[in-house]
Amino acid sequence: MPEQASAQQPAIRCRNVWQVFGPGAQDHLAQALKQTGGDAGATAQALRALDLVPAVQDVSFDVKRGEIFVIMGLSGSGKSTLVRCISRLIDVTAGEIEIDGEDVLGAAKTRMTQLRRRKLGMVFQHFGLFPHMSALQNVAFPLKMQGQARAERLARAREVIELVGLKGREDAYPRELSGGQRQRVGIARSLAVNPDVWFLDEPFSALDPLIRRQLQDEFIDIQARLRKSIVFITHDIAEALKIADRIAIMRDGQIVQIGTPSQIVLEPVDGYVRDFTKDVAKGRHARLSSVLTPLAPDAPPPADDPGLRVDMTLDEALSACMSLYDPVPVHGPDGQIVGMVDPAELARAVQVDPV
Amino acid sequence: MSAARATPQGTGPAPRRGVIAALVVLAVGALCLALVPHLPWLGGFPDAWALPVTRWVDTGLTWFLGLIKPGARMLSAALSYPMTWANVLLLHTPWPLLVALVTALGWYVGGLRLALLGFAGFSFVVASGYWTESMNTLSLVAVSVPLALLLGGATGILANEVPRVKSAVQTIMDVMQTVPTFAYLTPLLLLFGFGPVVGLIASAIYAAPPMARNVMLGLERVETDIKEAAVMSGASRLQQLFLIEIPSAATQIMVGVNQSLMAALSMVIIAAVIGGFDDIGWEVLLTMRKAQFGAALLAGLVIVAFAIVIDRISAGMARQQPRHSRRIALLIVAAGAALAVLAWLYLPAAGQIQLLVPAAEWLDARLTQFVRAQGAALDAIKNGAMFYGLLPLRIGLDGAVLPFTWGFQWTPGMSAGFYAAAAAIGAFIAWRGGVAAGLMVPILAGIVETGIAELPWPFVLIGAGAIGWVAGGRKLALYAVLMLAAVLLSGLWAKALWSLYLSGAAVLTCAILGGAIGLLCALSPLAWRVVQPICDMLQTIPLFVFLIPVLMFFQIGEFSAFLAIIFYAIVPMIRYTRHGLISVPPDLIEAATSSGATTWQTMREVRAPYAAPTILLGLNQTILYAFAMLVIAALIGTTGLGQSIFLALGQADVGLGVTSGAAMAILALVADRLVQGFAAERRRALGL
Repeated sequence: MPEQASAQQPAIRCRNVWQVFGPGAQDHLAQALKQTGGDAGATAQALRALDLVPAVQDVSFDVKRGEIFVIMGLSGSGKSTLVRCISRLIDVTAGEIEIDGEDVLGAAKTRMTQLRRRKLGMVFQHFGLFPHMSALQNVAFPLKMQGQARAERLARAREVIELVGLKGREDAYPRELSGGQRQRVGIARSLAVNPDVWFLDEPFSALDPLIRRQLQDEFIDIQARLRKSIVFITHDIAEALKIADRIAIMRDGQIVQIGTPSQIVLEPVDGYVRDFTKDVAKGRHARLSSVLTPLAPDAPPPADDPGLRVDMTLDEALSACMSLYDPVPVHGPDGQIVGMVDPAELARAVQVDPV
Repeated sequence: MSAARATPQGTGPAPRRGVIAALVVLAVGALCLALVPHLPWLGGFPDAWALPVTRWVDTGLTWFLGLIKPGARMLSAALSYPMTWANVLLLHTPWPLLVALVTALGWYVGGLRLALLGFAGFSFVVASGYWTESMNTLSLVAVSVPLALLLGGATGILANEVPRVKSAVQTIMDVMQTVPTFAYLTPLLLLFGFGPVVGLIASAIYAAPPMARNVMLGLERVETDIKEAAVMSGASRLQQLFLIEIPSAATQIMVGVNQSLMAALSMVIIAAVIGGFDDIGWEVLLTMRKAQFGAALLAGLVIVAFAIVIDRISAGMARQQPRHSRRIALLIVAAGAALAVLAWLYLPAAGQIQLLVPAAEWLDARLTQFVRAQGAALDAIKNGAMFYGLLPLRIGLDGAVLPFTWGFQWTPGMSAGFYAAAAAIGAFIAWRGGVAAGLMVPILAGIVETGIAELPWPFVLIGAGAIGWVAGGRKLALYAVLMLAAVLLSGLWAKALWSLYLSGAAVLTCAILGGAIGLLCALSPLAWRVVQPICDMLQTIPLFVFLIPVLMFFQIGEFSAFLAIIFYAIVPMIRYTRHGLISVPPDLIEAATSSGATTWQTMREVRAPYAAPTILLGLNQTILYAFAMLVIAALIGTTGLGQSIFLALGQADVGLGVTSGAAMAILALVADRLVQGFAAERRRALGL
């Protein structure tokens, strides 16, 4: 129950989640799992042989409180299905999902409605705006569902519309708004009930690159103020690296790797993940902490100290020690030397992988 | 388009327009109500003011028809040859062979399912004992359909080739679809004389537009790439058309053939009212008149069997799917031929097989028994609906509430109280924010109190204009007013109001009932699985057959007509309501769900408003269906325009027939435009 939620408890906890489409999916899945001894790959194969579609396979992860957890993958990888499983827009075939410690798969329909009215917010790729309602009415819609009085909900809706920078466009209808403005309305609507958990399903994918970047910046800005626990779906690796605290890479229904942006960039687990990140300029995403060598206890004091800190990006660090050749010290947050880094090593790390 | 420009975008002006329109109508209505006692010409339109349009039309048309009569008679004579041949051919083909041919065709087109359907359908016809009559009907269809296909196909291709005539062709076809079927018959009767050729030509004319429409649509939808590839291959225009474009449009054209067949069958059966030909429609009419409902039902079921077999097999042809084995089809035909030889030797002729006649007689007896036993209950239903529903709508509460019907007498004091209550409710709704809706309450109260058939004519004109203005701007308002004014001046106003009342009552019932069923079907797939075949069935049955069951239970009269109209016209309302509600984009439903809306809230707040334009189109179809049935229902006792058309047919009165038909078409066209206007306005409001 939410009252007992402690700081350590994850906002969302998923264990062995399966989503299989097709007739009799639940029975077939249980049977296949028994036959294969729980091996995900073999089970998925067995299901495909039965003409079923295992869209999400044996997925487990936690989303920490206040964290932006990005699920990234190509279209058809199951990421949109996964987020619909968590918000229970579709019913999961097997597995456990908890939100703030509450089992949502076992929750009654009325309880889910309640949760959605109070605690969960969702933004859709194609906005999902109601064409017959003005921007203000769209944003006030979840509050109306809560049963808030008219004046109260309109006041709150105005507040949120201002938060997303749409003040003055309250009475416009979706058809009168640009794509970027529409998604601002979508964001405002999902924030109207002040949810704890925020799902964003490719919120910026349908927008022009310039608008996309602008909205990403505003999103980061809003999150800095509101500190929601976020599940963010995207197929754009640059977007994932820019906004994520942690990233889960999905392929064919399975999670291939979960890690921080720099882990994903610098330590890809396999060729698939490396392919994603090969065009990414690593210097901008990885922090110095990822290339740190520990301080040898008997090492001589370094000759130069350009004042590197662990939270610098590789690009920033490299520009500070560009002219040096010997390893230089790296300082922790408190000013202590926590390790060394070799400028040559640093330059190599920043290189984009050859194709 | 000026209508689009005139309709304001956004929230502001549109509701205000509704308020202004409602205010004007309310004011006119109140004024009429106050003045009618002093100025009686405000109530019913004085006959003296009407123009003798009927007589003019009669004189003009008689002269014109007389002019082309010789040609027509020649055509009639020419057409009687193929008709006789078809008739002789069908009547002299041994029935086992014919059944086998239909079964084989069903097999070839749609496998076992259609083969069984074809076999069952035609076997039923054999068993019914109406074989000769059925073949007479079929031979009419067999000649009229090729004519219709030729006529429609040529029109479609012409419209496609000459863009200038396209919109004209479309307008003519729109009008042809709204002109009631009976109205075609009177001038044709004068031209061709009594006899089956009139039915033949009427059905060819009636069945041509669906073909033309589908040919136009199909040719229009051929992909540009394909057309350009034909041009670049060096094909001449004719080669492009016949080698590339028409084959590419084949599926759509086959849909046209299917619709054409159904229209022809329906019309051939309706044309039986002219008489002079011993076909199955005539049989239904005759047995109905003699109150032999068992036999009428049997004959009606023969028509239904024909309709379903013809519809499903021709629809199967329109679908592009692999055909089934030719060899088995041939085997079936061979078996039929063998049986035919046997039949010649041992089996009775088809006309003498009357297996089902005892069943019909039994049913007739049981029915008589049932109606006699339950007479009180049936009368209670009928009288209840008449006294508390139809009658007040027609002549108003002030006329309908009598000691005999409601148990007390309506007094002016009650009227005052009724209006006061309506005003109070209206004021309350207006205060809650729905000003236009609030104003509508006293207007509706006024209509119910006065009765539709007794509405003052200025009120009807201004009301239609106001609706037109809200739905589509000044142009539509003008259209509605001018069209209705034409009816007013024609001297058919009282009858038009009467028709308006009966179709209005039926449409209202269809809207409520059909909307509810559609909603249920949208929510529950199980319900739809039950309702869908019923809807399919109701849409396949020729109009005429609807009269039989209502007559069986409720005898001749307005209530029976009302029921028949509802059975026929409710189908589009159900279909469109369900379709609109279930085809809301999934992302909107997900957005509503994730906002915490319950199923019911999603339905009310998101699905219903989104589906509104589709539901309005359904309502539009329902209105057109109701008008079409209204005329047929004149056969079993309605007054109004339908009756005039029917009477004119009996007396070969071209003037009355054509004018009444035109008045009916005008009512249908105005209703059609108004509802379409609202649908377009809603679509614009949704940004679709």
